[in-house]
Amino acid sequence: MTVMQQTSGSGGRSGNLYEVLDLILDKGLVIDVFARVSLVGIELLTVDVRIVVASVDTYLRFAEACNRLDLSAGGGAGLPDLVNGATESGARSKTKGALAGAADTVKDTLGRDSEEERPTAKSGRRSGRKEAE
Amino acid sequence: MSTYVYGITHDTGALDGSGLTGVGDPPSEVRFVRTDGLAAAVSTAPQGLRAKRRDLSAHQEVLVDLARRDAVLPMRFGAVAEDDEAVAAELRRAKEHYTALLDRLKDRVEFNVKAVHIEEAALRTVLSEDESLREANERLRAQDGGTPAERMAFGEQVAGALEELRRRDADTVVEPLAAHAEQVAMGPPVDDCLANVSLLVHRDRGEELTREVGRLQGKLGHLMEISVNGPLPPYSFVAEPAQ
Repeated sequence: MTVMQQTSGSGGRSGNLYEVLDLILDKGLVIDVFARVSLVGIELLTVDVRIVVASVDTYLRFAEACNRLDLSAGGGAGLPDLVNGATESGARSKTKGALAGAADTVKDTLGRDSEEERPTAKSGRRSGRKEAE
Repeated sequence: MSTYVYGITHDTGALDGSGLTGVGDPPSEVRFVRTDGLAAAVSTAPQGLRAKRRDLSAHQEVLVDLARRDAVLPMRFGAVAEDDEAVAAELRRAKEHYTALLDRLKDRVEFNVKAVHIEEAALRTVLSEDESLREANERLRAQDGGTPAERMAFGEQVAGALEELRRRDADTVVEPLAAHAEQVAMGPPVDDCLANVSLLVHRDRGEELTREVGRLQGKLGHLMEISVNGPLPPYSFVAEPAQ
């Protein structure tokens, strides 16, 4: 199976499965005379939840993330950075609500019966996902 | 007993499902319903089949294995026919369509590429490009973040700018890749990706495509992460027959 996977810079086969979920569940032949097993929840997971809809939480998170950015390339945390640093954990929990929460739900549905195959390969890809791990 | 269907391939006479793991727990046997030059890979459908990781994986693995041997038309996960005879009837009914599709997809594989902005880099980009956003940001910073309503209005503007940036950057990923593909299919923007694109290529050109992805990652890696999965069964390039 490793032959089949050429994901740049990431590992396991389950990362692969997670990354192609939208293909397995939303593409492929659908033949009218065949039924589809009940996928209550799962289609919603792929097409709705994985498409993260902008929400109040994401707006607030973006605002706070911008506030934390030091746009002068020189770096050096000024007073605003320190002040905003104190609110960081609060912002993170909001992140979890909007983005990472969705990722968690997908993982739940994928089942915890094989923990070693949890889709952690892309964990560092984006802050939202990282915090889900 | 109803019949779970994985996909359709040519009946080469040499098909053997014994090495394959089907859906269900315990895993069902994978066998073939053959008729008139076509074969459908099937299992006896387990009771209460759900989209569990094990089953999604089994569906995918069976198709990947078949695709390694010959062209295959993957079913979307979860197709269940009334019985084997209903599968055979469908193969007979649309034989010409399936045969033509298999011929067209001979030696073709799908690669799926997803690109996602690195959030901090994307935020820096939109702020540096838009003076009014930058000023609003400074204003809120100076006020300890401002009121919740102010933060939300600002965040909404930022979200809009990020969406615009995703649209703009999609082409920088998709166009160079499309040049290597025979067909291109766009997927939904899962996980806030800026590009979710499937490419149909001759299996001998897969390496060329992954090299291109590597080149793009090298060039754009400061702003986005690009991942490629493949070779895959051609999920995005199969069309249903007319009913």
